[in-house]
Parts: sequence; structure tokens; C-alpha cells
Amino acid sequence: MPDARVQSAIAHWAPRFVSNGVPLTDFEEVTAGVERWEDWCRAWCARAAVHEELGRRSLADGYRLSAGEHLTRAAVCYHFSKFVFVIDYEQMKAAHRKAVECRNLALPLLDPPGERVAIPYEGKQLYGNLRKPRGVAKPPVLVMCMGLDSTKEEMDVNEGVFLARGIATLTFDGPGQGEGEYDFAIRGDYEVAINAVLDYVGSRGDLDATRTGLWGVSLGGYYAPRAAAFEKRVKACIVLSGPFEWVEYFDKLPELTRNTFQVRSRSRTPGEARSRAATLTLKSVAKNITCPLFIVAGKQDGIVPWEEGERLAAAASGPVVRCFLEDGNHVANNRVYRYRSQSADWMARQLSVTPV
Amino acid sequence: MDTTAGKSKDKRVEAAISHWAPRFVANGVPLTDFQEVTAGCDRWEDWCAAWSARAAIHEALGEQALKDGFKLSAGEHYTRAALCYHFGKFLFVNDLEQMKQAHRKAVECRNKALPLLDPPGERVAIPYEGKHLYGILRKPRGAAKPPVVVMCMGLDSTKEEMDDYEKRFLKRGLATLAFDGPGQGEAEYDFAICPEYEKPAKAVIDFVETRTDLDSGRVGIWGVSFGGYYAPRAAAFDKRIKACVALSGPYQRSASFEGRPVMNVEAFRVRSKSASLEEAGKVALRVSLKGIAKNITCPIYIVAGTKDRLTPADAAKELAAEVSGPCVLSIVEGGNHVVNNLWYCYRDQTADWMAAQLGAPKR
Repeated sequence: MPDARVQSAIAHWAPRFVSNGVPLTDFEEVTAGVERWEDWCRAWCARAAVHEELGRRSLADGYRLSAGEHLTRAAVCYHFSKFVFVIDYEQMKAAHRKAVECRNLALPLLDPPGERVAIPYEGKQLYGNLRKPRGVAKPPVLVMCMGLDSTKEEMDVNEGVFLARGIATLTFDGPGQGEGEYDFAIRGDYEVAINAVLDYVGSRGDLDATRTGLWGVSLGGYYAPRAAAFEKRVKACIVLSGPFEWVEYFDKLPELTRNTFQVRSRSRTPGEARSRAATLTLKSVAKNITCPLFIVAGKQDGIVPWEEGERLAAAASGPVVRCFLEDGNHVANNRVYRYRSQSADWMARQLSVTPV
Repeated sequence: MDTTAGKSKDKRVEAAISHWAPRFVANGVPLTDFQEVTAGCDRWEDWCAAWSARAAIHEALGEQALKDGFKLSAGEHYTRAALCYHFGKFLFVNDLEQMKQAHRKAVECRNKALPLLDPPGERVAIPYEGKHLYGILRKPRGAAKPPVVVMCMGLDSTKEEMDDYEKRFLKRGLATLAFDGPGQGEAEYDFAICPEYEKPAKAVIDFVETRTDLDSGRVGIWGVSFGGYYAPRAAAFDKRIKACVALSGPYQRSASFEGRPVMNVEAFRVRSKSASLEEAGKVALRVSLKGIAKNITCPIYIVAGTKDRLTPADAAKELAAEVSGPCVLSIVEGGNHVVNNLWYCYRDQTADWMAAQLGAPKR
């Protein structure tokens, strides 16, 4: 009988893993082979290594497209090995390094290719992956905000949806996220990070900075509207299952999620983590959101109550699309066909892209 | 994934769940659809209706997207709808009326999707024995006269299931022509299973030669499951075929159906238009590459899984041993039938190989 944390992982995450690119059999076999949470990271790394090897072989044979796909799969598996594995920092870091390395190897091989970018931030840098749709001179761009445990290496499928519709994607690891978690703690005033990213977008001659959208998943579904409340350069915003007032149900979160928040917010105690959580709030600022919002929430969400989406919808000042799914779980990963293409089509319209 | 806990299910439904999750999902059925639809289906008799109901959801999403002017999304929703309708009826020979109705919907949805896809597809009619076989032709963007891969279905697969496979070839600069041959998909009503598959394959390649937008000097053939027999069988006879990919196909069938899942046996009986199992056994005996495979001189890439419960990997070894041309034999450790559980061990690899055989630049 697997331990409770492994059981919770299996119960919560199959749809997310698979809809973001983990082969179903990988999910079944790897999770079936893990009895103790302590073995989670190692087991996924072993599976990731299989994909990495396939990728490196394809690359050696000159098959770039295949290599890019294998290496992306490797990165996703390495990523999920460590995404909430804060119990062993050294193991987490090693797996993280591999995830970044594999996705970086994949970037130039993808169609369309990606480019690793460094975004100046507080005397250091945040890292992002920039991809541009083929055949568009100066495309609009979507800035993609990660959550508590997602990172830019998990985003291939989501990027593809926007790229296919003529929108560039800039996925980045912000404070407390992915590569940004070692130098920077989680911060509630995420508009500061977004300000740096939008300055960076403005510095690029190959992107249309006047047509910038924002997208955020899970905790990123808080970060994105938070930034939109402050940053008028944001023309439209997609919110996926984000909190409105994180602290209100912080104590009810799954243990792994709370532990991860404590570590990534650099809190020494659960009590301190709780105080940090209180800084993640839209309560007094949501009214300043004037750009159009597309809000997705699953009414079966066991992590972030769907009503948080309604609170945001009610408080925002601009136009709102409410995409509240009766049968959706957290991020509606079990119902991706009810919002992924729909929100991308909506964003394309907001950013004045000809419909495809 | 335990979807059966606490319920007693009909053995055919249990077999379906245990055999097919990886295939359904790898070919485009959302995981949650598979889990929910199969969990809600206790008797095999309800299978087709349950999948058709789920398909209708995707169909409605497609209609909505099309109405809103979002063609790309509409094409994807319709393709998903077609796939769910397809799997509703793929082995549902126990109720031919229900099967036909779901089949009509599968074809209708995929046809609606075709012009919306990237790259788009075109429905083509291929003259065959005074009637027609139907196919889906897709061409890679930006290629003037691309090479083409003719795709052969199996006992229960049809051209509506092929989007994922097609895309892998298309991305590598190859056109795809997936078609329903005798006993398959739209052709199963007019034509019985034809073990001498070189006949329909000849008609298809004749058709390819009439198309000025395809390079008929560079034709490959590909076959999945039972089609993994049809494709090499055709390659043994038709020298216009320049390369062949065979996935988990039989080498020599016996007249006995013992040990095979009951639904597959029935599908074979019905689609071979046999009145009895004995009669079906005679058709099965004609399924043979023995003494024929030696005439395969084009390069061949053979895939098999060591855990295949339908076609043992030995069939692949026998085929590999007999062919006369260059051969890649990929027996995937732990692979199930068509290695759908470990699709990343062959789908891209075979597409890269085929592109190389047909002279498409490496990508």
C-alpha cells in the first residue's frame, strides 16, 4: 500500500501529467512502482532518462524534430519528479537541472523553435523560453505565469495552442518558481516581476509589445490578474483556477502543497508560511483590472475553490468571460477541451490576430 | 487506474479496458473521457451508446467553434468527436444498426474536420471493383509534389483514427493517404476482408498515379495491426512501393480463433462476411506471408511488442527472416499490441525512417 502522499499524488495528478505530455503508460507504471514518497523523484528521473536517451540518439542521427519531442518529454518527466519534492533539496535540484538541460536542448529543435532568454530582475535574472509563430513578422506575445509547482519546462502543450494561432509565447520562471526559486522567494506583489518581463518584451524588436497578453495557471492564476491590476501594458488576461484570497483556505490545502509553499516562500515555520500566504490577495486590487479577463474554474476543484474565480469576476472592472466548468477539477485538466482552445481563440481576438 | 472498483463488469468491457486505454489515449481520446466512459459502462451492450454520447459533446464543441469562426479549434473538436464515435463502434458488430449509425457520425465528423485541419485534408474516392474505396489525403504545407505514405488500417481501425499518425508524417514532409480497404471502415459494407490485399493496394497506388500533386515515384506503405500484414503483403507484389512500415501484423494466421478476445473474433467473422467460425477460419488461413515475403525487396521497418497478446512478436521475426530487402526489426521490450503503451519507441522513429527512404530532407 503506497503511502498517503503517493496516493494523493496519483489521485490528483493523472489528468495534469497526461494532458501536459507525459505518456499514459509512463504515469501508470512509474506511480505503480512507487511505494514511498521518498522514492518519487528517483522513479520519475529514471523514466525521464529513457526519453533523454531517445532524444540524444535522434539528435546524433540527425533527426531534429524527433529529438526535440523526446527531449521535451524527458524535461516534463524530470520536472514532475521534483515539482513538489521539497523534502530532499539536493535531489530536487539535480532533477531540476536535468529538466532545464533537456528543455534547453529541445528548444532549437522545436517547430517553431524556442529561445532561452534572460530577463534582468533585481540585479539578477529571471529565465524564460520565448517562441514565435512561424511566418509572422512582429507577433503579439503572451506572457505565461507559472504556479506554485509548475515551471516553464511543463508548458510545451500550452505554448503550442497559442503558437498555432499566431501568438508568440514567453514562459518564464518568476520569483519562487523553477529557476527563479533559488534566488527569489514567492512574492505576493507579482506585478514587480511582470514589470521586469514587460520591460524586457519592450526591448525586443521582434515582438509587438503593444499587443501583450497575460496567462496564469493555478497560483499563476493569481499572479496574472494581480499584475494586470497594476500593469496597463497588459491587454488581456487568462486566469486558470487561481486563488483570490489564498490565505482563507491555506490550512485546508494538501500537505504537499502547503510544504511546497513554505519552502518556496522561504518561511521557517508553518505559521510564517501562513503570514506569507496572506500577502497573496486580490481583494483590494481586483477593481483596478480593466483589461478583458477569461476566467476558468472547475467546480470540482479540490485545491482552489471555484468560487475564487467568481470573486475575481465580480470584482474586476473590465469585461469578463466566466468559464466555470461543472465537472472540472483543478485547472480543469480533466476537461482541457473545454477551455484550452477556447481561451486561446479568445486571446487571439483580444490581441487582434486574424482568426485561424 | 482502477476504474472497476466496487462494480461487477461484463468480461468484454473489462477486456476492453485492459487492452485499450493506451491505444485510445495515444490516438487522441482525452484520458478523462476514457476513464469516465468506461467506468460508466457495465455491459458491453452499452459501450457504443456511451461513447457516442461522449462524442456528441465534442461534436457540439466543434459546431460552436465553427459558428464563432474558429476553424482550427473546430477541426480539433470534430476530430476528437470522430475518434470517440469511431471507438464507440470499432468492434461493435453485435448490433450492426447501432454500429452503422455511430460509423456514419464518425465519418461525418472527420469529414467536417478535414478542411479545417492544418494541413487540411481532402476526401478522395478510389475506384475499386466497380465501386469506390474512400480515403483521406493530406499534403504537407509548402511541398510542391510530396512523396506519399499509403496507410493501411487493421481489423477494427479506420481512417478516422489516424490523425496522430498522419501528423508525424506530414511534419516530416510526407503526404498521407489513409484509406478504408475491403472489410474496413466505409468499405466493410460493400467488401469483405480481403487477405490478398495487393488488389486494393494496387487500386490505391493507381489512384496516386492519377494525382499530379503527388510524387508517385516515391510511394511508401504503412500498416497497423492487421494492416501490419496488409502492407507487407502489398509490398511483396507491387514494386511501385518504395518502403514499408509494418506494426504488429500477423505472418501466418491459423484457422483457429482459440485464445483470442471474443469481440475480435466476431469482428473478423462479420467483416469477412462469414456465416460461421469455420468459414471465417478459411479466410484466416489465406492470411499469409509465408513464401510471399521473400518477394519483398523494398526496405521494411517492422515493429512488435514483447507483451503483445494478440499477435506474438514471433510473427515479426518470421517476416524479418524472410524478406529480401533491407530490414529494421524493432521488437520493443514491454510493448503491447501495436506498442501503443510505448508509442514513443516507434512512432517518430518510423516516420523519420520513412522520410529518409522516400528522400525527404531530414527534419
